[in-house]
Amino acid sequence: MIDTLYSIFKISLKSIFANKMRAALTSLGIIIGVAAVITVFAVGTATKKSISDRFSNMGTNIIFLRQPWDLDESISSPKDITMDDVLAIREIEGVSAAAPYIQDAFSVKYKNTSVGLSVLATDTDIFKAYDWTVEKGRSFTEKEISDYAQVMVIGATSAKTIFGDVEPLNKTVVLNNIPFTVVGVTQKTGSSGFGFNIDEGALIPYTTGKVKMNTGWSNSDRRALDRVVIKVEDFNTIENMKVDISNAVRNTHHIHPLGKDDFQLDDFASFVEQAKSTATTMSLFLGIIGAVSLIVGGIGVMNIMLVSVTERTREIGIRMAIGATSWNIRLQFLVESMTLSCMGGLIGIILGIIFTLFVAKYMSLSAELSVWAILVSAGFSAATGIFFGYYPAYKASRLTPIDALRYE
Amino acid sequence: MSLIDTRDLYKIYKLGDVEVRALNGVSVSIEQGEFVAVMGPSGSGKSTFMNILGCLDKPTAGKYILDGIDVTATNLSKLAGVRNRKIGFVFQGFNLIKRTTAIENVELPMIYNQTPAKERHQKAMEALEAVGLAQRAYHLPNQLSGGQQQRVAIARSLVCDAPIIFADEPTGNLDTKMSIEVMELFTRLNKEMGKTIILITHEPDIAEYASRLIKFKDGQKISDEVKK
Repeated sequence: MIDTLYSIFKISLKSIFANKMRAALTSLGIIIGVAAVITVFAVGTATKKSISDRFSNMGTNIIFLRQPWDLDESISSPKDITMDDVLAIREIEGVSAAAPYIQDAFSVKYKNTSVGLSVLATDTDIFKAYDWTVEKGRSFTEKEISDYAQVMVIGATSAKTIFGDVEPLNKTVVLNNIPFTVVGVTQKTGSSGFGFNIDEGALIPYTTGKVKMNTGWSNSDRRALDRVVIKVEDFNTIENMKVDISNAVRNTHHIHPLGKDDFQLDDFASFVEQAKSTATTMSLFLGIIGAVSLIVGGIGVMNIMLVSVTERTREIGIRMAIGATSWNIRLQFLVESMTLSCMGGLIGIILGIIFTLFVAKYMSLSAELSVWAILVSAGFSAATGIFFGYYPAYKASRLTPIDALRYE
Repeated sequence: MSLIDTRDLYKIYKLGDVEVRALNGVSVSIEQGEFVAVMGPSGSGKSTFMNILGCLDKPTAGKYILDGIDVTATNLSKLAGVRNRKIGFVFQGFNLIKRTTAIENVELPMIYNQTPAKERHQKAMEALEAVGLAQRAYHLPNQLSGGQQQRVAIARSLVCDAPIIFADEPTGNLDTKMSIEVMELFTRLNKEMGKTIILITHEPDIAEYASRLIKFKDGQKISDEVKK
């Protein structure tokens, strides 16, 4: 039995190699389909992973409180986000940090050097919220905050740009014509994710910021907070925490129980989920294109197998006359179509791996080969062979020996 | 019991409203070891008769017993094994598979009856030796002359030790010299190996090689004579 199977397999291989050009063109559809599926899955997986990585060190247990960008017109006098909100939020159980946040860009001068920096006016809770640490010097003191002190904690990269090899601590820099004393340098975080990039920025007390950063804004000394950065203790309670925070802010804003919120709470979890689901949709879409080309490839295999059956009707007749059963004939053509598809699949897998490595290298995407995608497309190409080879094989096996022999 | 025994074989085709009786009640018995020539003009039903005897086709009515097997009662698809073990075919157009070498063509019937590869090769070589083509075993059909190709086909018909060889106009595509070669080979197979040979031809001098002559006309047997 094994001997017969092996011989039939050899017969099939022989007839494929008798027509190399045809076999190559037939397999091409499968090759392209399989290569496309593997590459798309690899790039898709990599994109999702890079999104997760990028956001995970930002911490998904962060919530932003801010004014909506497109405020509902029915809210006539929206209240600013203020320190009252920050203080109210800090009272809530489960909140581990709540930091005021005002961001602006300034040019910072030291002697003859002038550098553009992102400056964040905040308080010490920001260190807890973002897991930043002061490497050199210290953070702001409570007194400095309440005294509107002109002090600054500077990011590691900024310090290097402004001071070079000079020790930055206790140096005076000029920001918006106001002198600030550098009291600390933060440790490099290396992350350029979502939110404030401390490495290339600087921090000042929010009190000082509210008063001194008002150029171009109303001349009031109470510049509103851009947002409040809130950290909750447990990521899993984030939805409940949002309700508690919402209630607290509605209270400080004196919103009527039936009134609409004049603020908005954003969290990274939904952001990450959205980005991931966009990536998923994208790779699904591309995967479908790949799958369609696999099906088209399969139809190509079927087409050629049908031609091959017709061409070799006489050969089928001879084989039947000397004792081949219908099953033998069917097997021969099935093996042939499966060999075509599997060869195509194999070449497709190799090409897919090459494309993936190429994409990873030249498009700086950390594409990861998915064993799963490789197995699925290998399985799919074998299945294509069986599925699209079955009908031609069945057709061949249904011929009666005498009709097949008489076929011209 | 006869090796081949047919009773009132009919083969009726319908071409539109016209009924064509390719075989119109044929009863023939052939014994083991006979060399029978079947003659008749084209359309006389001799090819249809051979196709039915060779289990390639089924009669519309009648009974056919081959070596004790009731062929008419057996499903056409189950007859593959009968063709493999009982019958060897030699056709006018040789009907070798073009892509494969002489020896592979001869091995083919054994692939379909689960003969192990080594034994297959050995038997195929013996059969090629028997037809005098051992040195051409690895040639492709188009590298062989017509007579040589026909001898490969004869080797193929021998290789499963089938008791019967059906030869349908085996010399139709061959010149006189090659025809004589092939016919002498058939005679030898009949005399030395005891093969039952049923030969279809329309050439009287080819029919001369046989020991019994059956003539067909209009789907019926018109004469059946055993020579001296």
